[in-house]
Amino acid sequence: MLQPVFFRSVFGILPLFIVLLPVNSSTCVMENTTVIREKYENILSHDIELLENMSEEYRDRCCRNKRHETPSAFFCNDTQEIRSLQNMACDMLKFFYKKKINKDFRWQTARVSCMTLEILRCRCDRESKNRKVCILLTQPSKDTLGAQDPKKKCCQELCELKETIASLRSCWNKFEKEIAR
Amino acid sequence: RQGPEPPLYHVLPTCVECIVFNDQYLTCMWGSKEMPTANYSLYYWIENHMPVECKHYLQEEGINTGCWFNHSEIIQFRTFYIHINASHEGRSLVIPTKAMKLQDLVKPAPPVNLTIQNISNNQLQLTWDSMYNKPRCLEYAVRYKSNKDTRWTEHLASGKIFSFPSVDYEKYYTFYVKSKINQYCGTTQLWSEWSVPVFWGNNATDQGLGQRTPTGACPLPFCRVWVIFMPRIPNPSKNFDELFNIHQGNFPEWAGVSKDVVESFKPNYSESFCYVSELPPKEGSLPLWGGHDKPRAPPGRSSAPASSSSPGLILSKKSYVGV
Repeated sequence: MLQPVFFRSVFGILPLFIVLLPVNSSTCVMENTTVIREKYENILSHDIELLENMSEEYRDRCCRNKRHETPSAFFCNDTQEIRSLQNMACDMLKFFYKKKINKDFRWQTARVSCMTLEILRCRCDRESKNRKVCILLTQPSKDTLGAQDPKKKCCQELCELKETIASLRSCWNKFEKEIAR
Repeated sequence: RQGPEPPLYHVLPTCVECIVFNDQYLTCMWGSKEMPTANYSLYYWIENHMPVECKHYLQEEGINTGCWFNHSEIIQFRTFYIHINASHEGRSLVIPTKAMKLQDLVKPAPPVNLTIQNISNNQLQLTWDSMYNKPRCLEYAVRYKSNKDTRWTEHLASGKIFSFPSVDYEKYYTFYVKSKINQYCGTTQLWSEWSVPVFWGNNATDQGLGQRTPTGACPLPFCRVWVIFMPRIPNPSKNFDELFNIHQGNFPEWAGVSKDVVESFKPNYSESFCYVSELPPKEGSLPLWGGHDKPRAPPGRSSAPASSSSPGLILSKKSYVGV
């Protein structure tokens, strides 16, 4: 007679455990900082520079006004540079689906994000979406949509992306400077 | 008669320059003694923090013209804001400033201990040290010139070493080095000052001690002078005048070669041409060449080529014609 009560109580608690599981359950495999530095300097830094140049081309007047209103949500925390880079890279993946942003710009953003995660040996929280974007990059592009004319009305997503790119670059600089001691 | 004092905002400094010196201290300068007399104060903060007033002002003739921050007050890799107030006789104005990234405003100290080594024949190696505590974040530029050069030559170097491949021992060289934060640790165009120079080579060539005058006069009492008489190198252009003016370019005649020798060089056989033509074309198509386009035989004792107007992949050969 106690069995139904037992199972009811156990299965009642289990969903609660799932709800209470921390959202940020992303993981990073420990990687040698020397290896990270070499990969960043020899490979990723060039793609980041290209992305920054693309970001500079897509000037948007409204970004200048909004910069002080909505500062970057990502900080590169002291002694937690890798975790900060992971958060930024994962956040940047969402821009891949923002059709208001130029296609080449979105693809280069995704490329930098995926390379950052690969070099750091990290993955994002929403595993399925992360894998999908980084897998799409290896396939022939079927994406024909996207703004070709950057001079459009204020695009909040573009402003946010430009801020995130700047934060990512800055955080990599901080990481390099930290391990250069 | 003096007019009214101009508005304060017409003469205020319009910009603030901040530089982080060697990651050790920061200065933000906004003016000089030429500024209007006012009470200047600086406040700084990063995101989500309250503004803090400058603790150590820099002054010129009693007027605040800048602020000095020690190492612990320098916050890199966060957006850094400053705010300068200018107040005078109850009026107050703000000098506008931009948000800054202090990691992009680092100016390293100049390199030190420049040393030159002679590592092999005619090859020098220049090395140096850096006073910056993260030398892996630096890139360098080397500038050098010899006493015979009119311009400086500049090369970039990623490490604290520079090889000079081909040095002239008769020259006197001067080397300088400067440094900058590289692209991996920041985004800056701020180079350090040039280092103290290092010199290498023979500084005596300009004194004239090693020079020998064309007449062979020797300034030292016991030197030996060798005089070698060399025949004057003739100018050949005059001899060739006869070739063109008298012999009309006939070289054998000008050179005096006998006619028999000249004749012996002429070929005494003839060689026929081997014509290759294309296959018969289909109706409507054109041959590679028509009959008038056939290659002509050079003048000489060769047999006339046989006509081969009909197109076809034919190899035709005539027999030799003996002399």
